[in-house]
Amino acid sequence: MWHTIIGQLRTSARLQFGLGLLGLLVVLAIVHPLASGVVGSQDAGGDPLAIAAYRPWLMPTGSHWLGTDRYGRDILVMSLTGLSASLQVGLIAGLISTAIGVIVAFVGGYKGGAWDSTLRTVTDMFLVIPSLPLLLVLSAYVRRVSLAQVGVMLAIFSWAFAARTMRAHVLSIRSRPYVDLARINDASDMEIIFQELLPNLLPYIGVGFANAAINSIFGLVALEVIGLGPAGVIDLGMMINFSINWGAMSLGAWPLFMAPITLLSLLFMAQQLVNIGLEEVYNPRLRSVAGA
Amino acid sequence: MTVRAASGLGSTTARHTLEAWSQWWRRNTYLTYLVRRLGLYVVSLWGAFTVTFLFFHMIPGNPIQSFLESLQQQEVYGVSAGQEVVDHYKKLFGLEGNLFDQYVAYLYRVFVAHDLGPALINFPTDVTLIVSRALPWTIGLLGIATVMAWAIGVALGTLAGHLRDGTSAQVLTNVAIVFSHIPAYFVALILLFVFAYRLAILPSSAAYKASITPEPSLEFILSLLRHGTLPALSIVIVQACNELIVTRMLIVSTLGEDYLTLADAKGLRPRHILTHYALRNCYLPLVTAFGINLGRIISGNVLVERIFNYPGIGNLLVQAIAILDFNTIQGIIALLIFAVLTANLVIDLLLPVLDARVKNW
Repeated sequence: MWHTIIGQLRTSARLQFGLGLLGLLVVLAIVHPLASGVVGSQDAGGDPLAIAAYRPWLMPTGSHWLGTDRYGRDILVMSLTGLSASLQVGLIAGLISTAIGVIVAFVGGYKGGAWDSTLRTVTDMFLVIPSLPLLLVLSAYVRRVSLAQVGVMLAIFSWAFAARTMRAHVLSIRSRPYVDLARINDASDMEIIFQELLPNLLPYIGVGFANAAINSIFGLVALEVIGLGPAGVIDLGMMINFSINWGAMSLGAWPLFMAPITLLSLLFMAQQLVNIGLEEVYNPRLRSVAGA
Repeated sequence: MTVRAASGLGSTTARHTLEAWSQWWRRNTYLTYLVRRLGLYVVSLWGAFTVTFLFFHMIPGNPIQSFLESLQQQEVYGVSAGQEVVDHYKKLFGLEGNLFDQYVAYLYRVFVAHDLGPALINFPTDVTLIVSRALPWTIGLLGIATVMAWAIGVALGTLAGHLRDGTSAQVLTNVAIVFSHIPAYFVALILLFVFAYRLAILPSSAAYKASITPEPSLEFILSLLRHGTLPALSIVIVQACNELIVTRMLIVSTLGEDYLTLADAKGLRPRHILTHYALRNCYLPLVTAFGINLGRIISGNVLVERIFNYPGIGNLLVQAIAILDFNTIQGIIALLIFAVLTANLVIDLLLPVLDARVKNW
C-alpha cells in the first residue's frame, strides 16, 4: 500500500499539486504571526488587527496588499490568522470524527453480525439526514462556545462518512490470508486489530481525517455565514459574515470576502486533488482513464 | 387429544399454503425487495425522528425553557408569567409529563395529527401554514435549478468523456473538479457582488418586485425570473460541475465495453453510439448519486436562500433560529428529513424497475 502511494506520488500530477497546495496553506497558517509582525512594523510597531490600526475600508495598496476592513484592520493578516483558526477547528473536529469513525468501522467491520448491521444503520442515518440544519439549531442554543467546543459539535456530524468508507476497507482486509494466519496462530482480536489491520489501514485513516477536517471547516463557515459560531474568534467564516453584515458588497470592498473565499476554495481544491490522486492508488483501473 | 389432531391436520394444510406462498414469494423478487425497502424506510423514518426528538430535548441550553421564556416575553410583555400560564402553554405544545409521554405526544403530532402547534415567528399562525407558504418557493427554486444542472452537467460530461484526451476537455474537467465541491453560497456571494452590485443588472434579494401584485401576469413572471436567476445560477453551477465529473467518469469507463465496439462495427454514427449506447448505461449511477447528494443540496440551499433573502424554507429556518422558534425549527427539520428519506426510497424503488441488472438487493 505505502509502496503504491509513493509510486503514485511520483507520477500523478494531481496528487503532487494537491499535497503541495495543502502543505503551502498549512505553512501559511503557521507563519501568520510573522506576517502580522511584518505588516505591523511598517507603522512603528503595533498589532495590525487592533481596532482602528489603520484607516477603514482602504483598497489594496503597497503596504496593505488586501486593504483594510470597517475597523481599519489589515485584511491580509486577518485572512492568515483566520486560516490558522479555521485549520485548528478542522484539526480538532477531524481527530474526533476519525476516532469515532475508526472505532465504528473496526467494531462493525471486524465483529460483523448484529453489531455491524446496527452500526451500519446508524451510520447511514447520519449520512442521509441533512446535517447543516441540525448543526445550526445546536449552535443557536449553545451560546458562547469556544473554538474547541465547536470542533466537538462539528465532529458529531462528520464522522459518518469516514466510518462508512473505512468499514469497507476493514471488510476487504479482514479476509486476507495474513489475517487468517494470525488467527490460526491464536492471536487475540486486539492483537489482530492493532498489529495486522490498523497499520494497513493508516493511509485510509489519513485520508478520512483530512476529509473530516476540511468538511468541518466548511461546516463552521456555514454556521458563521448566518451569525452563529464561537465568540471572539476571527476565522475565515467570520470574515464572510462581516462582509455580509457590513455591506462590503455594496461598498465594493471585495477583498473582505474574496480573500476567505479564495483561501477556502484552494483548501477544497487541494482536498479534491489529493482524493482523486489517491483514488487512483486504490483503484488502478482509474489510472489510465482519469486523464492528466 | 382432539385439539392435537385438529392442529396436526391444520398444520398439513398450513404447510401446503406456506409452501405455495414461499414459492410465489421467491418468484416475485421485486415484491420481497419492495417490502424490505419499505420496512427500512419506516425504521429509518422512526429512527431519524427519534434522534431529532432526543436531540431537541438533550442539547444544553434547554430549548423548551428558552422557548417558553421567549413566548412569555412576547405574550405577557414584561410581566413574568404565572405558573398557570406556563402550564397552559406546556399543554398547548405537548410538553406535559415525562420524556416518554412527550415522545409519544410528539410522534402522534408528527405522524398522525400533522399538527406542529403555533409558530412564534407569527404567533397564532400554525407552523404547518407558515411552512406550506414557504415550501413552493424552495421546491420551485431547487426543482428548476436541479433540472438545469442535470441537463448541462450530463451534456458536458458526455462530451468531456468522449473527447477525454483533448485539451479543452481536460481543462473543462479540471475546472469542474474545482467548482464541484465548493459550497453553493460561495458562488452565490461572488454572483451577488458581480451582477447585483457591480454591474447592477439583476436584483439582489427577494423573489419578486414588491410593487407587483402576485398574479399570473407577464410582468409578474418576468420579475420572478429576474429575481430567481442568481439564486438558481449559484446552485446550477456547482451541481452541473458535480454531474459533469460523475458523467465523464461513467462514460470513460463504458467506452471500452464490447457492445460499443459492436455498435461501432455495425457502422453506427459515433454520436448515435454515444447518446444511445454509452450514455444510457450512465443514468442509473447518476440517479443514485443524486439521492446521496440530496441532503447536501438542501443544506447548501439554506444558505443560498439566506444570502438572496429568498422566501423559501431555508430562509424561514434561519429566521426561526434567530428567535429560537422551537415549533417552526422542529417542523422544518421534520420536513427536511422526511423529504430526503422519501426521495431516497423512491430512487431505490425505481432502480430495479429501470435496470434489470439491479435485482435482489
